[in-house]
Amino acid sequence: MIPALSARGVGFGYGDRGILRGVNVDLSPGEVTILLGPNGAGKSTLIRILSGILAPREGEVLLCGRPPGAYRRREMARLLSVVGQDPPVDFPMTVAAYVGLGRFPHQGFFGETSPEDREQVERAMERTELTGLRDRTLAEISAGERQRAAVARAIAQGARVMLLDEPTAFLDIRHRVAFYEIVTQLKETCGIAALVASHDLTLCAEYGERIVLLSGGTVAAQGRPEEVLTPENVRSAYGVAVACDRNPATGAIRVTPLRGMPPKH
Amino acid sequence: MTGGGKRSGAAFPVLAAALLGALALSASTGPVPISFRAAFDAIFRGTDDTAARVLLSLRLPRALLGALVGGALASSGVAFQALLRNPLADPYILGVSGGAAVGALSVALFLSADASPLLPLCAFGGAALSALAVFLLARRRSGVSPERLILMGVVVGAFLNAVIMLMVTLAPPGKVPGALYWLMGDLGLGTPRRVAILFPYVALGTVLLYLLSRGLDLLLLGDHAAFQAGLSVERVKTATYLTASLLAGSVVAVSGLIGFVGLIVPHGARVLVGSGHRRLLPAAFLLGGAFLVLSDTLARAASPAGELPVGAVTALAGAPFFLYLLRRNGRRS
Repeated sequence: MIPALSARGVGFGYGDRGILRGVNVDLSPGEVTILLGPNGAGKSTLIRILSGILAPREGEVLLCGRPPGAYRRREMARLLSVVGQDPPVDFPMTVAAYVGLGRFPHQGFFGETSPEDREQVERAMERTELTGLRDRTLAEISAGERQRAAVARAIAQGARVMLLDEPTAFLDIRHRVAFYEIVTQLKETCGIAALVASHDLTLCAEYGERIVLLSGGTVAAQGRPEEVLTPENVRSAYGVAVACDRNPATGAIRVTPLRGMPPKH
Repeated sequence: MTGGGKRSGAAFPVLAAALLGALALSASTGPVPISFRAAFDAIFRGTDDTAARVLLSLRLPRALLGALVGGALASSGVAFQALLRNPLADPYILGVSGGAAVGALSVALFLSADASPLLPLCAFGGAALSALAVFLLARRRSGVSPERLILMGVVVGAFLNAVIMLMVTLAPPGKVPGALYWLMGDLGLGTPRRVAILFPYVALGTVLLYLLSRGLDLLLLGDHAAFQAGLSVERVKTATYLTASLLAGSVVAVSGLIGFVGLIVPHGARVLVGSGHRRLLPAAFLLGGAFLVLSDTLARAASPAGELPVGAVTALAGAPFFLYLLRRNGRRS
């Protein structure tokens, strides 16, 4: 299958400081890819490059076969949506209006709201359990609710490719699970290709079909969870000792941190 | 949903009524008493007496000029606040005022006495040039950041202020008071001709801003998120910047520097209709118009001879409110 979004040999840096080197990632329709890596590994930079904010210094990014620069802005936003790391805290609008901004690339020159727009916004809020908060402003809801609102806005955008930068950082366990359920549902019903940057090794092994482990600006490992989540890979990327076994209830890989820091090498 | 604000309902009829009421109050205030009956006859029956002439050639144009100026300043303020993502931004923050003043003063002080037709044009030219200079100075390959725009606005503004002082020092003494009076901001120049000069600029500017309103909503997300949501961020920012400068510059050209309207009215309008720009822009226009017409009425009532410029009244009301905003903002961060 043709990848919906792919990075080929992508390198990036500021001046002499290299941030990414030789990154190859393919996102396929109907597949959830998890982007793992310690703080500063280059996950957010990679997402900025994939979404066209930054141009790669080496290599290329192809969205449905064309580089981001070849698209008109709205056209690209209909294909690709992004949930950033920090939803605005004091965004001065209601949840419903904020989610409604996701419909921008579907609206005409005058930005009038169609029944289709309204329906998509309602569905996105239902999916993220925000309907009851629709008339609150973003300053009046919790950090976790804001994060769900950001996800709802991306869902309302209706793109086939979604990039999500640590969308579960502020969520409690119930809403983390709910988030991955939503992404799985979108994958199955709409065939989206999703890239989720995360620090949650346990849930990503449960829900991710592919894992890309980024370390020091390069791809240290990628593949199925059992191929990537080995004690050696985790230790060399994160510098912690872990035990990896199978969760007896689900059969998914389970990563358990061990006490004590391993010697650095 | 499109409104974006929390509050809805009857804000617009109330604002429109407030503006009409302010216009009526302004037209009925002054040394010559004009009854409602006389006003009606003058406007709809074309009577020609003293009352009619005062109403049609002095008071109504002045009131209308106030509404246009106040509305344009408030709209421009909304645009700059969204553009710079800074609630303390106003239409003059980017050196527009200084540029307009230099442009107008160079005509008023150094050219012949009857050069007044050139004055608005030169003020507008000066405003446009300084706005463009600030914009180009702040521009980098990565785009235009709000911080650099504000910084360059302050630098260019300080430079232009020095130029203004130099010009006033070198000017023939007889011409200085008039120029300074204009600088303080006044609607006394409200002849029908000036309303006619200003109207096309204000109409064009407000319509353009309204067309940009969805983009302004998205800009509130921040540049990256707005880009990812499908906005041509640089294009919308440039268009907003030029349009808001056009509004502010044309207003300065006609009525001098009237401060604080563009700063405080947007905040008042936000309280009434929320922050979605499709409602905020029209609401700010109506509220700004009403506010300035009332301020001018107050100025005329306080000093019938007309020596109190309206800019002094708006500053008297606006400066304390600005301090209040600063304090509230400081507490939040």
